[in-house]
Amino acid sequence: MKQQRLRFRVLAALLVGLMLLSGTYGIYSVTAYGNRWVGSARNTRFRSVKNSVIPGDILDRNGVVVATTNENGERVYQSNILSRSSMVHLLGDTEGNVANGVESFQASYLWGFETGLSERVTALLQNQTRKGDNITITADSKLCTEIVNLFRNGEKTRGKCGAVVVMNYKTGEVLALVSLPVYDPTNITEQVKTSEQHPFWNRALQGTLPPGSTFKIVTAAAALSNLADAQTRVFTCTGATQVMDHVIHDYGMAQHGEVGLARAFRVSCNNAFAQAALLMGDAALRKTAEDFGFNDNFLFRDLVVENSVYPTKNRNNFEIAWSGAGQSQVAATPMHMCMIAAAIANDGVMMEPRLLSRVESPAGAVRLKYSQKVYRTACTPEAAQILDGYMKDVVKSGTGTRAKVDGLTIAGKTGSAEGSNNGRDVTHAWFVGYIDSDRYPYAVSVVVEEGGSGGSVAAPVAQGIFTYLRDNAGL
Amino acid sequence: MSRKAQARAEARARARSQRQKRRRPDYMLVSAIMLFFFSAFLLIALNGELEWQGFALAVIVPVLIYLSTMWLPRFFPADKLLLAIANFLCALGVLVLYSTDRGAGTSRGMQQAVYYGAGIIAMLVCIFVVRYIKRWRFLMKVVMMGAAALLVLPLAIGTEQNGATNWINLGGTSVQPSEIVKLALLLVLSWYMSHRSFWPWFLFAMFALLVLMLQRDLGTALIYYATALFLFYASTGNLPLTGLGVLGGGGAAVAGYMMFAHVKKRVAIWRNPWIYYETSGYQIVQTLMAIASGGLFGVGLGLGAPRVIPVYFTDCIFAVICEQFGVIFGALVLAMYIILILRGVSIASAARQSFHALLAMGATVMLGVQTFVIIGGVLKLIPLTGVTMPFVSYGGTSLVSCMGLIGLIQGVASVNQDDLAYDYEISHSLQEAAMLPEADREG
Repeated sequence: MKQQRLRFRVLAALLVGLMLLSGTYGIYSVTAYGNRWVGSARNTRFRSVKNSVIPGDILDRNGVVVATTNENGERVYQSNILSRSSMVHLLGDTEGNVANGVESFQASYLWGFETGLSERVTALLQNQTRKGDNITITADSKLCTEIVNLFRNGEKTRGKCGAVVVMNYKTGEVLALVSLPVYDPTNITEQVKTSEQHPFWNRALQGTLPPGSTFKIVTAAAALSNLADAQTRVFTCTGATQVMDHVIHDYGMAQHGEVGLARAFRVSCNNAFAQAALLMGDAALRKTAEDFGFNDNFLFRDLVVENSVYPTKNRNNFEIAWSGAGQSQVAATPMHMCMIAAAIANDGVMMEPRLLSRVESPAGAVRLKYSQKVYRTACTPEAAQILDGYMKDVVKSGTGTRAKVDGLTIAGKTGSAEGSNNGRDVTHAWFVGYIDSDRYPYAVSVVVEEGGSGGSVAAPVAQGIFTYLRDNAGL
Repeated sequence: MSRKAQARAEARARARSQRQKRRRPDYMLVSAIMLFFFSAFLLIALNGELEWQGFALAVIVPVLIYLSTMWLPRFFPADKLLLAIANFLCALGVLVLYSTDRGAGTSRGMQQAVYYGAGIIAMLVCIFVVRYIKRWRFLMKVVMMGAAALLVLPLAIGTEQNGATNWINLGGTSVQPSEIVKLALLLVLSWYMSHRSFWPWFLFAMFALLVLMLQRDLGTALIYYATALFLFYASTGNLPLTGLGVLGGGGAAVAGYMMFAHVKKRVAIWRNPWIYYETSGYQIVQTLMAIASGGLFGVGLGLGAPRVIPVYFTDCIFAVICEQFGVIFGALVLAMYIILILRGVSIASAARQSFHALLAMGATVMLGVQTFVIIGGVLKLIPLTGVTMPFVSYGGTSLVSCMGLIGLIQGVASVNQDDLAYDYEISHSLQEAAMLPEADREG
């Protein structure tokens, strides 16, 4: 009997443990993922609170009201059609078209879910409709508009799909986040809904693409930490390296001859990077990629970013070699590639991208203030400095000369990533880079889907953005 | 002292004892629970269109709570905390169901109140069964036969609901025999285990599991299996065999995963429901969004969009509770189940007869496992299986069987109290006997 009682206690502990496990897991998942679930494009719940709450306003970093509610309770955006279109993905909506924009991801503020009991009771007693909190975001609406203009005016980018991210590499503030094509949020036509280009899709955060040669930043970082003679070793590029039964070739079938790491980076030589990847091995390259945030579950406070992938399955030498050049199922979003460039600019420290600058209640009480946070340390300051030199050379005399801007020191890396769209082989044009300046600490990532060569298609867009940033100092 | 003064003093004493009675913790607790439900139903009834159902429930539910927690224990000793928690959860079910009825054209809240009344009766029956029936040796065989017949019935004349053939229609209402058989299973398990005979309960449990598998009622099968296994461990302490049982269960789960496509699908949905959003993952995704939308303090009683969730009234009712009352309240509901388990275990530990101890423990384990299976499923900790949330989910059979389980525990508790009282009397008479002079005792 006594022993039986002891066993009863064991069972009780087990059952209570299971309950506590459920409770803890539930609370953990709601705190970690709750906002993501609420902000999902699939949540139709907002319709039920729409009648009882007036959602708050959204302001950009200069105080421009980019979203507000009119007397009829309708949500209105900027009056200029281009301006409101350019921020459509960043802001999102509550109709379930664009996922995880500010309108839905920050719904708990905008729709007043965070309002305290006393404030609710006061509003109830005064018979007012409850008002949600006002949000100031770090983005700049003029810059977003300028980016859409650049895309539309560029001959090689006009009508193409793509994405642009601009962020402050010292603080992590996101200044612009544009996904193309854009559409007018106040007039969603049948054409927008059925377009093959899927305008609702936020490519900057959700569109994972092969990063192509922009991934060579990571490969070079891996080489610097894994190969003792990385900076002096000479690779031979015949334009075609035989690995297993396949051939690694270079963009435009170029031959670079004998190259060191610096020159290989500058001219973006696939063969040299394939050889470097094979030399260090898959584990070393993967380790560095994961240091840069690949395969991590991104749980940023303000942004929902699709996870980037460094493949772990079916690894043979051919795949490993191509991974060194950012192909072979390596995939990343424009946001993440911007963070990688930003990390190099910021001495290897990757900041968490942030979009909320301030949240205020209608009565003026500050609910949330901007705070920066280091997301992870991607590489050592020494490695970052060497890569910084390599990236400056790219813009000075390499593949990225078209991103050059007078009066600024630009560093960057181009990419012409081979992907496929419905079985058709296509080349995506990439450019990631930054301004090396304390006054303009901005990193940029540009992708033009099916654009072709990164150096001639994506780099000019980045150049336009850098020029705009230079001419509109004090953002 | 004059007679008048004496009467006054007596009246004062009576008033004091009345006041003290009102201050007793059980009165306070039950009064608070009754007030909570009274105001909650009234709040819904007064908000928007006036409905007679809301006013009726505002009276009926507190009355039922009072009857079963304060009035019934006058007739036999009972564990009031256990009663109060079980009744709170039942009433919470009625409240949440009524709040989701509004605008949907259903009257599940009213029906659930009727089931709640039936549950109280079932609890009474079970208390009486445990207290007064002594001739189990013969009766147990009748219970086994009856339960087996009842369990097989759906295979012959059953109807299919949600992929499982475990319902039968009885004069317009559908009944789920596997819920009622739970009580019989516990009686059989604890009786034969306490008498150290292995085969009768083992064969009965295996038979029940086989029938449940045939009916594809995997959630209930899991509960039966876990209860039998845990109770076997509690009665024998045989770790090797218990371990074998765990392995066997795990093996069966893997075999089920390999063999049945729908089990495979369940697991795939559990791993990532979002990619199956349009089809089979819809339920769990809606559940998660509901829980998250409630935030810490909930969107408020009767608000939110609970009806978006498929089967919000049975399997996913915990999500509705979390959405309306908030995550903190959800955690408190979990805490109530924990207290329920702890009370059950302490009652089982205090039992004098092995049969009673195992009976109370078995009922506690069954409630605990079922709660974990459904709440863990709703929170996406484990794959979601279609079992009801004890006391809260909509459904007559489920509520009746859960209250029956509480009845079994209460029956054991009342026997424990009787035993204690008997001990007290014996020790008193012994003491009195000891105080008598030697000579008197002789004489």
